[in-house]
Amino acid sequence: MPMTRREFLFAGVATGAFVGAGIVLPVAISLTDDDGNPDSEALLYPRQRVASLSELRNGEPVFFDYPLVGQSNILVKVGAPAEAGIGPDGDIVAFSNLCTHMGCPLIEFQADHGVLGPCPCHFTTFDLARDAQVTLGQATQQLPRVLLTPDGDDIYAVGILRLVYGYSDSLTGGERVS
Amino acid sequence: MTNAAQSASVPLPPPDATNKQICCEYCPVGCGYRVYSWPVGTQGGNAADENALGVEYPASALSGRWISENMHTVVDIDGRDHNVVIIPDADIQAVNIGGEHSIRGGALAKKLYTGSGPTADRLRTPYLRVRGDLVPISWEMASDLVADLGRHVIDNYGELAWGMKVYSYQFFQNTFAATKLAFASVGTPNYSPHHAPAEGDDTPGLSDAGIDAFGAAYEDFSEADVLFIAGSDPYETKTIAFTKWMVEGGADIIFVDPRRTYTASHALANGGMHLQLKPGTDTALYSAIVREIIDNGWEDRDFIDRYTASRAELDAEGGWRRQLFGRTFDELREYLFSRDEFTPDGAAAITGVPADQIREAARRLSGGGAGERPKVAVAFEKGVYWSHNYENTAAVANLGVVLGSTGRPGRSVGRMGGHQRGGQSAAGYPKDKSPHDYLGNKVEMDTERWLVEGNTRFRWVVGQNWLGAMGATQALREATEQLLSVGPQVTSTDPDIAFDQLKARIDAGGMVLVHQETYHNESTALADIILPAGAWGEDDYVRNNAERRMRLYQKIMDPPGDAKPDWQIFAMVAKKMGYDGFDWEDTNEIFEEAAPRSAGSRKDWLALVEFAQAEGRRTHDVLLDFGTTGIQTPIKLEDGQLVGTPRLHADLTFKSDSGKANFVFADWDEVAKRNDILGPADGEMWVLNGRVNELWNNLSDFTRRKIADDRWPMNWLEIHPDDAAAMGIESGDLVSIESDNVLDQVGRTVTGSFTAVAYVSDIVPPGVTFTYFMFPGSPANSVVSGDTTLQPINLRYNFKLGKGRVRKIGTTGLAETMSFAPRNLALGP
Repeated sequence: MPMTRREFLFAGVATGAFVGAGIVLPVAISLTDDDGNPDSEALLYPRQRVASLSELRNGEPVFFDYPLVGQSNILVKVGAPAEAGIGPDGDIVAFSNLCTHMGCPLIEFQADHGVLGPCPCHFTTFDLARDAQVTLGQATQQLPRVLLTPDGDDIYAVGILRLVYGYSDSLTGGERVS
Repeated sequence: MTNAAQSASVPLPPPDATNKQICCEYCPVGCGYRVYSWPVGTQGGNAADENALGVEYPASALSGRWISENMHTVVDIDGRDHNVVIIPDADIQAVNIGGEHSIRGGALAKKLYTGSGPTADRLRTPYLRVRGDLVPISWEMASDLVADLGRHVIDNYGELAWGMKVYSYQFFQNTFAATKLAFASVGTPNYSPHHAPAEGDDTPGLSDAGIDAFGAAYEDFSEADVLFIAGSDPYETKTIAFTKWMVEGGADIIFVDPRRTYTASHALANGGMHLQLKPGTDTALYSAIVREIIDNGWEDRDFIDRYTASRAELDAEGGWRRQLFGRTFDELREYLFSRDEFTPDGAAAITGVPADQIREAARRLSGGGAGERPKVAVAFEKGVYWSHNYENTAAVANLGVVLGSTGRPGRSVGRMGGHQRGGQSAAGYPKDKSPHDYLGNKVEMDTERWLVEGNTRFRWVVGQNWLGAMGATQALREATEQLLSVGPQVTSTDPDIAFDQLKARIDAGGMVLVHQETYHNESTALADIILPAGAWGEDDYVRNNAERRMRLYQKIMDPPGDAKPDWQIFAMVAKKMGYDGFDWEDTNEIFEEAAPRSAGSRKDWLALVEFAQAEGRRTHDVLLDFGTTGIQTPIKLEDGQLVGTPRLHADLTFKSDSGKANFVFADWDEVAKRNDILGPADGEMWVLNGRVNELWNNLSDFTRRKIADDRWPMNWLEIHPDDAAAMGIESGDLVSIESDNVLDQVGRTVTGSFTAVAYVSDIVPPGVTFTYFMFPGSPANSVVSGDTTLQPINLRYNFKLGKGRVRKIGTTGLAETMSFAPRNLALGP
């Protein structure tokens, strides 16, 4: 039975349903959009603790590499409802912060608007509350989404959705984060 | 591999992948790309010697060598599934050096026909409308009908009753073939491009100054000290011209637009200016800046003295427009200083641009009399010439001439371009047959007015969403429906019965509509006969970008199903109509035949053909040697070598009988009168329309591209927070835009309306809204005038001066999935 991206994000990862289910990692899951058309491919990967709920502040990002060394990501508590956000307010999300246009690092989170960017190279801006949709700019795909799951006060990265800048496969061609 | 929109891996092309070149299909910049294709089942490796890119993966930042998900697809080539990767050309020495690309070109792979998925609905067979439904028919039957009905119309009602409406840009081979039929064979003036109701010049004021609209090279945008950019956001619509050439050059940017778009914010964050004028007031603003320059003695005196025409020279000019509107410097000065509207304070009252900003702009553009005169590039587009066509292009030309901005590095005045340039006419437009004139001087036929008046009995639309694109578009559609409902409808697929029934309709005063297209759209929805066309990447073609850079666009794959390249369709019908000269074997043959017609023009490629023939080679093959860097036209042969032309007017001679440039009369009174007619009435707001970064034109590709469809699932209306609050509108609400005061093609007052999702943003000022210009199902041009008698000098629509009442009629459900964040957040230095 195909699963939609929305179902996967809300029912699967966000609640931790996939974690500890005995599946052999990494594993790829093909997801559809709400109309059943091909949407994206999620890759589940050994989990990595990346933040703690109690230490997160609205709009103050946390950066971490996952799943490979050099695959840099931003985790942020957006401060407003975010698509597939986790945590008590449903507003914690994480995305690759390598711009999917030409790979420049995105570090400017604008809390007033919930956007990451503009990229210093070619000015793409991504809406982190809307699954890192391109609000304006030249990136040819949304930012890869780091799948998050809470476990007590800890937030774990458990996988990645979409292709990371620079790679031909998000999980190969590099060294795993330990 | 699948065509899933966002897989977590893409295959790398193996070293032996087929490697071709192509340039982008979309914006006028025309970035160069490589096309790698290879059978599904194999792929290259991460090591540099294991893939066709020759780079080690992971690709590094700014390498331009990363293949995103949208740069890959799987298509059928020669009966077998092939991976196709379309990636910026690493070898290009111009345009998008270093792998730069826009979101549009970066996803070109998704344009290709895949047989399943979003592009599966490409038109693949001819259709005939029978009892209201489209049924597949053969090419033989379709071409017989088109030819025989056309022949019947021409023989019985004259060539003015037979009309074509054809893309003006596409590729040289196809526009040559179309005009060989329309002008050289039929001899009809009933022919117009996709964007206007009449043939002819889009920027007549600039032409009448003697200056070519596409004279600049992109180097000029880098070398300029000051960039004066008006009427189009280059970041959004000519992306690489902006990021690669304008921004990297570091010029001081003066941006002119009613909206605070990204480029406006970028200019302000980097020491530039945003002259946020009220819609429809360009002529007053540019004239006031010119007046201020002259008032301070900051004009380029040397250029004006040496290179602009005297009164005697203007009187000797052959063209009626330059005779009527050409001005000397003294005459221009006299006009500008005779009117309070052009003082800084007078213009501020009209344009809303503060007087001190007008003074400051004049100072920056001219250097204020101190030190070396800055190099100024004046670059404009549709916000200028599709609001008030003649006057605005005359006023902006005056700014360029008074600054000496032409013909030299960093100094230019011209268009940035709306699309690439692939138009080459096979014969002169028969203007003498046009029914329309201005003060007794013939102007090109307004084909839409002619049609609404019932004079067109056969119309053949090619490659455009005609009924979404014209002014007063809903009224035009209704008039078309009436013409198509006169007399009988087709009730049988029997070729003879179908012909007789359509012939009877023509004889009863009705019209037959043929549409040649790649996908169904709002115009094919009415067509009697549909001809499926091949497109970009489905044959070898040539065209220029907006700096006259000519490149070969190689064929990637066959058109789907029974679809045929446009030139083959024109040739098939023309031969059946009894015309000679349509026996081409391939597009190279057409390109070579067309070359003499290009001679002396800005796209002159005759030397390329002569060079190829001397070498015993095909011209396409010689052009391929130039790669995606191409060669800038006009092309010359010097010492046995092909040499391009980086910029026009480099010898400071101009396109006039005297060889000099001149100033042009930009009549504010005409503009003010038109603004009174076209401007919002009580309760109405301006409804401006245009392009945005993530979409292109009629969206035939973009509604079928997930990244674009996610971003813009429906048409939207930008509305200022103050206006939205007053009307109780929030982002995500469904709004209705209505006007009951639109002029149609024959001057009647009609209604127009469309709906959109509200996007509350201060990108627009209070009283002004903005919407996409041609979103399927959302006819924004229905609130734009269709009456070209308002602009009788040059029959063009006032596309950028729509208006309407706005009100909330519901919600869309998009508030939670679509980004409504600001689109004008810019970084400083």
